[in-house]
Amino acid sequence: MTRLRLRRTMAAFVALVAVAAMGGCGGSGSDAGGDALDAPGAEVLEKATGKTTIEFWHSMKGPNAQAVDQLVADFNAQSGGKVEVKAVFQGSYDETIAKYKASVQQKSTPALVQIYDIGTRFMVDSKQVVPVHKFVEKDAFNAADIEPNIASYYSIDGKLWSMPFNSSTPLLYLNKEAFERAGLDPTKPPRNLTEIGELAKKLTVKDASGKTVQYGFGAAIYGWLLEQLLATDGKEYCDHGNGRTGLASKVQFDQETAVGVAQWWTDLVKGGYATNTGRKTDDAQAAFKAGTVAMHLESTSVLRGYVDAAKGKFTVLTAPYPKVGSSSAGGPIIGGASLWIGGVGHSAQEKRAAWEFVKFASSPAAQAKWHTGTGYVPINAKALEEQIDKDWMAKFPQFRTAVDQLHALPPSVASAGCLLGVMPQARKASEDGLEAAIVGSKPAEQAMKDAAASVQGAIDSYNKSVG
Amino acid sequence: MLLLPSVVVFALFVFWPLGRTLYLSVHGNDIFGAPSAYVGADHYREMLSADFGRVLATTALFTLFSVLPAVAGALVVVLLLEARIRGVRVLRTAFALPFAFSVATASVIFAVIYNPAIGVANGLLGAFGIDRVNWLTDPSIALPAVCAATVWMNFGYNILVLSAGVAAIPPEVVEAARLDGATGWRLASRITVPLLSPQLFFLVVVSTIHALQSFGQIHILTKGGPDQATTTLVYSIYEKAFAFGSADFGAASAQAVVLLVIMLACTAVQFGILERRVHYR
Repeated sequence: MTRLRLRRTMAAFVALVAVAAMGGCGGSGSDAGGDALDAPGAEVLEKATGKTTIEFWHSMKGPNAQAVDQLVADFNAQSGGKVEVKAVFQGSYDETIAKYKASVQQKSTPALVQIYDIGTRFMVDSKQVVPVHKFVEKDAFNAADIEPNIASYYSIDGKLWSMPFNSSTPLLYLNKEAFERAGLDPTKPPRNLTEIGELAKKLTVKDASGKTVQYGFGAAIYGWLLEQLLATDGKEYCDHGNGRTGLASKVQFDQETAVGVAQWWTDLVKGGYATNTGRKTDDAQAAFKAGTVAMHLESTSVLRGYVDAAKGKFTVLTAPYPKVGSSSAGGPIIGGASLWIGGVGHSAQEKRAAWEFVKFASSPAAQAKWHTGTGYVPINAKALEEQIDKDWMAKFPQFRTAVDQLHALPPSVASAGCLLGVMPQARKASEDGLEAAIVGSKPAEQAMKDAAASVQGAIDSYNKSVG
Repeated sequence: MLLLPSVVVFALFVFWPLGRTLYLSVHGNDIFGAPSAYVGADHYREMLSADFGRVLATTALFTLFSVLPAVAGALVVVLLLEARIRGVRVLRTAFALPFAFSVATASVIFAVIYNPAIGVANGLLGAFGIDRVNWLTDPSIALPAVCAATVWMNFGYNILVLSAGVAAIPPEVVEAARLDGATGWRLASRITVPLLSPQLFFLVVVSTIHALQSFGQIHILTKGGPDQATTTLVYSIYEKAFAFGSADFGAASAQAVVLLVIMLACTAVQFGILERRVHYR
């Protein structure tokens, strides 16, 4: 209660200060009316006197944050003193979007913000941003090098709204030595959930006292993994063509495929072949890194950390993300986060400066550095031809899987991912459902149905407020 | 006139936020979380659900099992520490030590202890040949596990308050009782505990309020899971307002109002019932 009050009070103060500040400078920096969402040309920066400084909000931590800082420093150095980007870490993706919402109310949005894939629909509906395709048209920018599978997530009616920045794909991780000890061939990884289920039984090891020392399978109860599995089965996560032909009005993670996944997972945990480490991805990662889990699902973005952690203990292998069944023909969703250019409340110079940085960040050279520094897949296909990238792939062949997977399939509606204004809440609800099934408090079908129903109110009220 | 500064501070930091909370609780939200149309008691009606009932039950259990063990346990330890044994100062300091940890630090330590794969708790059990316990991922164990962490966090403060209380008992009272032949259990139950009742009452009231407001340990250890098993009222408010890109300040405010009413009721009951048995000197 006090905490909440305190936050409110603080928000109120910030709002007061913001109002005072705006009153003071009489709308100097902001352009009113319809042109707030237009894309200015390169001339606005050439004509500008002095330096244009913009804020860039991001959610990258650890080595990834260092890569962001390096990217920003490189950009500032080559901008010839015309533009300065200031990178500001805003916490997790969830926290960043929450702060962004507050900044819209306070009319102090950043010129550039990194938002996760599932915030895409909200960003479009916010009516605060300049769609990237306007800049692409203005500059006749060659967008063909942007990986089509990645761009499709951030496109509506074929038009790119934000520039993909860090993209990851899910992978199946294997402990090579665990396979060998069980007399299995690690070069023949399981291709679907049924096969994982069978292998998990062979890969579960108990000691003399009956205590399990190695589980066949283990992954975090993470809604993203379910979204990916549905996509590999060619199923849409929400209605209206994954929210791409119109505003999605309901989620579909209570469909047969999803219930099947929940049931499969529950059976493995119940049978003692999978460990349930809960929702925290950190805990599931720790179990795999400790060698107590033989097969594991995670994003490519943790591969580098796994390779380092397993050094001297076991060999980390990667395989394409499993499909649901042997007849599944889809591919995973290429998610991650993208860069959004602020329009409302920003001068032409600021908008242009943000676009200049976006262009720089998506160039082959920058993406090659980004790829090798973080483990995210490059969003620019040409990055793979850069020398540093080639050297790196030779050193860590495990990274090849993600890139191959990215190129394996043409974009489809299912693998474009669901656009839904309240997608973060939908993901959380799907985790509620999975968890209720896995811990045995509800049958799988009931659990997924209840979970899907629980997010309906939020979808309706969102659609009402933007409709 | 002299009251003016405190009136201004109160108005700004207590009454205005309270009024604002009430206002938000009867309004809807746009997608940024700003209040939109008046919705009457809709947010309050939404709370008449099994899910919210479960939140209230969890809150009650969490409060009960984090307040009582911490106060009763601290009382036992303080009474035992009265014994004249060697190294009692070291022990007293050791028991009071949790007070020096912030909620965040202590929670992170417990997160490591409870870690399913590399945690100390399962390591210890393993040494005795007992299979892993899923401390934070088994719905029936998670709440007791979070309560245990909370008890540990509150222990130090309770020890400090009660030790100070014991030190303030006039030695002549204890001496007189001893001359009358009271020792051990009799001395504790008839003399020390009644004379500690103001401190005990204070601890029960303050820790109840504290428990109802607990957030950090739940956020760090379980995020309200598994399967909502540790979603207390405060955590539910947080989820509505800030988590998962949700900005439903209306529903969150309505729940905050409910929390306020519960706290007022708890405190009123405690003052009405418990305080009558408190022995003030």
